[in-house]
Amino acid sequence: MNSRITRREWIAGAAIGAAGAPGCRFSRPVAQNVRPSTVTIVRATAYDQKVYAKVRSMFESHRLDVRGRSVVLKPNLVEFEPGSSINTNPLLVHAAYEAFREMGAASVRIAEGPGHRRDTLDLAEAAGYFKTVPGFEDNFIDLNVDDSTRIHPARQFSRLEKFYLPNSVLGADLLVSMAKMKTHHWTGATLSMKNLFGVVPSGIYGWPKNVLHWAGIHECIADLHAAFPRQFAIVDGIVGMEGNGPIQGSAKNVGVLVAGKDPIAVDATCCRIMQIDPLRIGYLQLAGGEARLAERNIVQAEESIAAVSTPFELIPQLRDFRLRQS
Amino acid sequence: MSLDRLAHYQNSDGGWPYRRGASWTEPTAYAVLALLAAGESEKSRRGIAWLLKMRRKDGGWPACAGVDESGWTTALVAMLPPDILGPDVHHDAIEWLLGETGEESSWVYRLRAYLSGSPPPPEQSAPGWPWVPGAAAWVGPTSLALLALNRQMTRSGAPTPRIQKRLAEGRRFLLNRMCRSGGWNHGSVNALGYPADAYPETTGMALTALRGLRARQIEGSVGLAARFLAECRSADAFNWLRLGLAAHGALPVEYRPPEQIQFRTVPEIAIDMLISAQAL
Repeated sequence: MNSRITRREWIAGAAIGAAGAPGCRFSRPVAQNVRPSTVTIVRATAYDQKVYAKVRSMFESHRLDVRGRSVVLKPNLVEFEPGSSINTNPLLVHAAYEAFREMGAASVRIAEGPGHRRDTLDLAEAAGYFKTVPGFEDNFIDLNVDDSTRIHPARQFSRLEKFYLPNSVLGADLLVSMAKMKTHHWTGATLSMKNLFGVVPSGIYGWPKNVLHWAGIHECIADLHAAFPRQFAIVDGIVGMEGNGPIQGSAKNVGVLVAGKDPIAVDATCCRIMQIDPLRIGYLQLAGGEARLAERNIVQAEESIAAVSTPFELIPQLRDFRLRQS
Repeated sequence: MSLDRLAHYQNSDGGWPYRRGASWTEPTAYAVLALLAAGESEKSRRGIAWLLKMRRKDGGWPACAGVDESGWTTALVAMLPPDILGPDVHHDAIEWLLGETGEESSWVYRLRAYLSGSPPPPEQSAPGWPWVPGAAAWVGPTSLALLALNRQMTRSGAPTPRIQKRLAEGRRFLLNRMCRSGGWNHGSVNALGYPADAYPETTGMALTALRGLRARQIEGSVGLAARFLAECRSADAFNWLRLGLAAHGALPVEYRPPEQIQFRTVPEIAIDMLISAQAL
């Protein structure tokens, strides 16, 4: 079946969706038969040794079978400011690395392609990855300069008909998006799906990967989501970022890890924890549609959203994104 | 020593990877420049043959094999001497560069901005170069394009009006994109009204491209670059900061990077060699 949306379908969908959800240009109706996704919320108040057991437990609860498989961990590594909460904490990445090794993965690699800074290893060192992850350099892939292949995503949302993507990620049996829970001054929130911007090679697209901005940030996030069907998402919400994220915001103690096999459901859940309306996030609307974002279609395991929810400060331009309590 | 390391990294197809894997245009161009500066001929000849094989019909170069569009790496190849690359090939590369501007400089974009009642911000008043066609201009590719055009101007002695025009525009672009601190980041002066910080490597790149420019702002940039040089640990940043400071006569003659700096990638090794040979 050709699942590509034609321009006519898109315009019609956008028009109907806009009528249903005023103010969100990405709204569109989708098939309502949605298989619920499970998202796990676990409390974790600090980056300490307890995180290792919690991460392992989360993977097991989702019955991830990685025996003999190749796994790529994709943290969010943007810039380094001492004392800031911009990047995925290296201890969480190491916990995932250890868990997958113990679960029998044939290979576990850590991979990232920062969009602003060229010296990826220096950035990783400054962010504490060398210190926290033994043998980091041997297990790390700089996606900005990894050998790449031209692909056409399974579903096309942006005007980009093709992407050049790194072979290390395309060839992985499982891509684990390990994002930071942050506000984003353009998209509202940056979570596991937006984190995939980091797989796009800057060696081809540049620093920043500005082509994606011109083609539509939301649309390109949805494209990239479609390009990687074998994903798991785990969001670092132990300390997130609020306000003018994703770089200049303030640290926000949330004390949670959020994980699941469906990045759309994970990100929608994170939004609710942040008290941001997931229906206002363009890329979630595009990739998931309202039905998949609905709370009734997401099974929450362990903690409930209500138990951990805390309002993230929003910049004035995003005030309308605030989740209204029912 | 560095020559041996560069030789070790060369792929069997004649090109160079960043560290391992397939050949890319950026490391190959830098490696060839460094080898030529060191007087090596055989390996550089094979590198040039790889570059010529990668050349696209429009006169530009893609980032690597399999990419079907010319982009920012064309500026690096255009830094090679015309007699080595071939006069016509080199001419076409310069022409490709002269014809490329950021999308925000296009008349369509400007008309749309005018009609929508949101005129472009002042920092968009001068055109620069994008990483790839169809996107906005940024500090990195603009700096590299200026370096290539500067070389061309020096070689020819009498630059064409088009080259002079683009050099002037490119310099204005960089000055417009200077951060409040006096340095440069990738090209965003502020984010939603908040001043953005400069990066060491892009500050060095921009200063290198602005060689010979006498402007009051540059003094502050040189001071910042010197502070960056004393603090940062990145080989890429060290390379560009040394080049940038040297371009403005502010790098101590005997300066050497601290021992702990690791030159890990082919561009880092090659640029370090070019600095030693004073050839970039």
